[in-house]
Amino acid sequence: MSLIEITDLNVRYGEIEALRGVSLRVDEGQVVTLLGSNGAGKSTTLRAISGLNRPHSGSIVFEGKPIVGLGPEAIARLGIAQVPEGRRLFPGLTVLENIMLGASNGKASSAAIRREADRMFELFPDIRPFANALGWTLSGGQQQMVAVARGLMAKPRLLLLDEPSLGLAPVIVQAVFRIIQEIRKRGTTVLLVEQNARMALKVADWGYVLETGRLALGGAPETLWGDARVRDAYLGGSQAKASA
Amino acid sequence: MSVARDTRSAASSLSRTAAGHALYAILAVAAVIGAATVRTDGYIANILMQAATYAIAVFGLSVVLGLCGQINLAQAAFFALGAYAVALGTVDYDIPFFVCLIAGMAIAFTSGGLLGLSTLRLGGHYLAMVTISFQQILTVVLINAIQLTHGPDGVGSIKRPDLFASSQAYLALAVAVLAVAGYLVWWLADTRLGRAMRAVRDNEIAASAAGIDVYRTKVLAFAICAMLGGLGGGLFAGGFTYVSPDQFAFSDSIVLLTMALLGGIASPVGSAIGTGLLILIPEWLRFLKSVPGLYLAIYGLAVILIVVFMSDGIWGFIANIFRRSTVVAPSPKRPLVLRPADSRAPAALQVQGLAKHFGGLKAVDGVDLTVRRGGVHALIGPNGSGKTTMLNVISGLYRPTAGRIFVDGVDVTALSAHRRTIAGLGRTFQNIRLFRSMTALENVVIGAEREGNTEAASDHAALEERAQSALDFVGLGERSGDLVRSFSYGHQRLIEIARALAGNPTVLLLDEPAAGLNSSEKKHLHDLLDRIAAQGLTILIIDHDMTLVAGVAQHLTVLNFGRRIADGDTVEVLRHPDVAAAYLGAE
Amino acid sequence: MGSVLQLLFTGLGIGAVYALVALGFVLIFRATNVVNFAQGEFSMVAAYLMVVFAVDLGWPYWLSFLLSLGGMAVLGAIFNLGVYYPLRNRTFLPVIISTIGASIFLANTVLALYGPQPQVLPGWFDTPGIQLGQVYLDSQYLIIIAVTVLLVAFQYWFFEHTLLGKKLQATSQDKEMAALLGIPVATMIMITFVYSAVLGGIAGILVAPVLFVSIQMGSTIALKAFAATIIGGFGDVAGAIVGGLALGIIETFGAAYISVPFKDAFAFLVLILFLAFRPQGLFGERVAEKA
Repeated sequence: MSLIEITDLNVRYGEIEALRGVSLRVDEGQVVTLLGSNGAGKSTTLRAISGLNRPHSGSIVFEGKPIVGLGPEAIARLGIAQVPEGRRLFPGLTVLENIMLGASNGKASSAAIRREADRMFELFPDIRPFANALGWTLSGGQQQMVAVARGLMAKPRLLLLDEPSLGLAPVIVQAVFRIIQEIRKRGTTVLLVEQNARMALKVADWGYVLETGRLALGGAPETLWGDARVRDAYLGGSQAKASA
Repeated sequence: MSVARDTRSAASSLSRTAAGHALYAILAVAAVIGAATVRTDGYIANILMQAATYAIAVFGLSVVLGLCGQINLAQAAFFALGAYAVALGTVDYDIPFFVCLIAGMAIAFTSGGLLGLSTLRLGGHYLAMVTISFQQILTVVLINAIQLTHGPDGVGSIKRPDLFASSQAYLALAVAVLAVAGYLVWWLADTRLGRAMRAVRDNEIAASAAGIDVYRTKVLAFAICAMLGGLGGGLFAGGFTYVSPDQFAFSDSIVLLTMALLGGIASPVGSAIGTGLLILIPEWLRFLKSVPGLYLAIYGLAVILIVVFMSDGIWGFIANIFRRSTVVAPSPKRPLVLRPADSRAPAALQVQGLAKHFGGLKAVDGVDLTVRRGGVHALIGPNGSGKTTMLNVISGLYRPTAGRIFVDGVDVTALSAHRRTIAGLGRTFQNIRLFRSMTALENVVIGAEREGNTEAASDHAALEERAQSALDFVGLGERSGDLVRSFSYGHQRLIEIARALAGNPTVLLLDEPAAGLNSSEKKHLHDLLDRIAAQGLTILIIDHDMTLVAGVAQHLTVLNFGRRIADGDTVEVLRHPDVAAAYLGAE
Repeated sequence: MGSVLQLLFTGLGIGAVYALVALGFVLIFRATNVVNFAQGEFSMVAAYLMVVFAVDLGWPYWLSFLLSLGGMAVLGAIFNLGVYYPLRNRTFLPVIISTIGASIFLANTVLALYGPQPQVLPGWFDTPGIQLGQVYLDSQYLIIIAVTVLLVAFQYWFFEHTLLGKKLQATSQDKEMAALLGIPVATMIMITFVYSAVLGGIAGILVAPVLFVSIQMGSTIALKAFAATIIGGFGDVAGAIVGGLALGIIETFGAAYISVPFKDAFAFLVLILFLAFRPQGLFGERVAEKA
């Protein structure tokens, strides 16, 4: 059962074609990863889904409803939450406040949201001591936890994660990916954009590879990891050239 | 408002010719003669006088705001300085009119320059507030320093010069000065300083990278604007023979600004149109003045509407309709000469222990880099590894937290961005930074006319020739007269490269030149880089496209988490397991 | 000593007015990055509305007060839609100029409708004031200070302890992220404008009995409130309040000890000094490099 289906998406920034005719889908309950080197169009895809960039053409269908043209607030209310690149915690608000604002797509009372936030700390015990600290004082890994917790507060049907491992040390990256597995276990569908192909493919059920705005590959993680074209997408055809 | 469009292009085809100049001269002379001879009643003469003197002040705004893009909400204050110089000078101290006029202009010029000094650290809102403060302080001084300024009573019986004592003659004088001032402002736009101002307006960072002293340009723009304000004010004083503080309040600065906006801030023609309309129309609708406040209320509303709907002003609107590219006279093709400096220092670019911290974030954490002379060296690394930060520190956009940078053996660490360009650094930007109101040729000329460019003499013809050669070199010579925004993204990138090459750099820094290009454009870029390297230039390139990088660079440095993790011959580095791990993920 | 305390009291009183107007600025600036040059006119319009309701129509003071604030709320909403919204994606220059145009429009519309004669607005209470030792506490100044304390406390509670207040803060810190979470950004901005207009209105109504109600009162207060925000640190809420109070005190002492006619220039002199030597103000972070 496809939760979200993207067909022939074209997104432009002014004259530049950031995405050309990209089609992919995410089935319910899966973790699907979108790989590619920098500039390939991964973040653009997530921005288009969340309504931050209006596609030039193509369709995005979520739970049977077309969502192209809706604004970001409306899309958040439909049940799509994004944890954007760089975490983007609200710098002047505390960890607890950031997390509570994650529930802004619904109509729950302040008290109910508070309870929900407390439950979130069980999933992320490492950040509980920082509940009343300002967001920006935490380390990168801790901020990432807060950002993901905030995303989950929206009780999303689909969680979009944009480069959660960015700028994090390898040990922390592993912790982040463990959380993603936990999230999947709890039934949330995840579309994971990553540059770190190795970790992403370890945790995903399916993978796509973007290269300069086009979909280059799609397949099961083991297949992709073994495919030399994945390396090429990141490191150019040089690997092949060098050995020739 | 949108980037003030260069409204001269339409008229420039006409006006650049001798015929255009002659036409202007004839019209000017006709206007002066008309003013001197045609009998008008006193009231009309006064209106025309006000229009003429205000227009000169509005020319000032067309320089600082139209050309240079800096906000000045104190033009009435400079107008006042000129007016009071004439008033107090002729009445209290018996100094001849023209001496007072010149003195007023000098005082205004200096104060404008001082005000411009505040642009060193301030822009935008802060600058607006500084100018408002200056205006307010001056108003308070005019009203309260009674010993000096006569206070709220003002200064009357201002003496005109004998030769221009009659209203007619004085009006003719005002019109003559208006014609000359208008011509000079129009001519300014195409001088080196005018080009620098337009570059600062369009893209300050690119202007700096192209070798322009941005700060000095802004200060001069303020000074010139103020001086024109003072000139207008001095003539105003002589024209109306009475000045008082309430004629030079903040609301008058706004009136002047509205005149500039209405006509179109980017050109003196617009200034004249705006002033004319906003003085003459209300006179025809005199009933508006009978209800106090109605006139200015409509003014206020007009400002909002103009800003929202007609941001280029009337003249801008007209000029856009008739826009044509400038016609570039065909000239024999001269090949582009690139003669990078070579002081025999071991490396063209050397970076030692470079660090850049943003608060707690260590974007660059102690990196050494040696770029050998000649050839292409690439700096790569995954997202967030610090490559762009490093490039920005090398080119002078950021100050390093630690470390030193040497260009051709010279320590440039303490130099500002534009001084590094003069020292031989050239660069392009990831999000293309061209001067969008200008043609391709003008953009590249700005690159060519950087101080210390040994490959271009400073006369305009030589500069244009070099710019044309640079555009030919990148393959865009045929379209050098077109506005840059009419070029495709890939071609705009090439223009940026041509602009950097025109400055004859020793080291060329390219920031993600392949970003946004399709495969055939990338191939063209690859060829271009090979040709540049063949001329002996040293290139340091950042990019993510590994195929391009591997094809064009002999030497590779890899960053990760702000540190250098590999450095050496391209083929070997790409085979290094640490590099694959950095990109694809560690074990 | 008595006179110093007296000046301090007066300075605090007038400073509180500056603080309220400065607060309105800062809130709008944080939410939209717009410097609202018409903020002072909100104060002026509210004062005139009070004159119309309480003096011309003779309605009860409390009713006139509520109606005037209601009018300010409407004005804030119209301002948001007419002046800010069409220009929300443009650079700062058109927006500054546009708010300046709005300020002139408002001031002169009132002038055209009401005429240039300054008006008198009576104070809240008829009691003349309290004598405390050597200091005479004017009742209107007492009210100004009391209301300002209440408003600042309210604002603190609202922004720090309600979810809506948090959403407003989030919107001003990162609009896009707020939208991604489902926060209705346009509504947040509208609330900000309405609230700031009401704040400005309260400031105007408070200070009107002390000065005359005149067309110029708006711009005088506004420019001083600007200076206050710069002194406190542009963009900082606490800074606006501290800056306002500080400026009121500086100005009052300056007028008493240095020169009365030049007192209006002090604000600007202090402003220029701060901009020259400490542009980030007392509390603000480094003024962003223009990169």
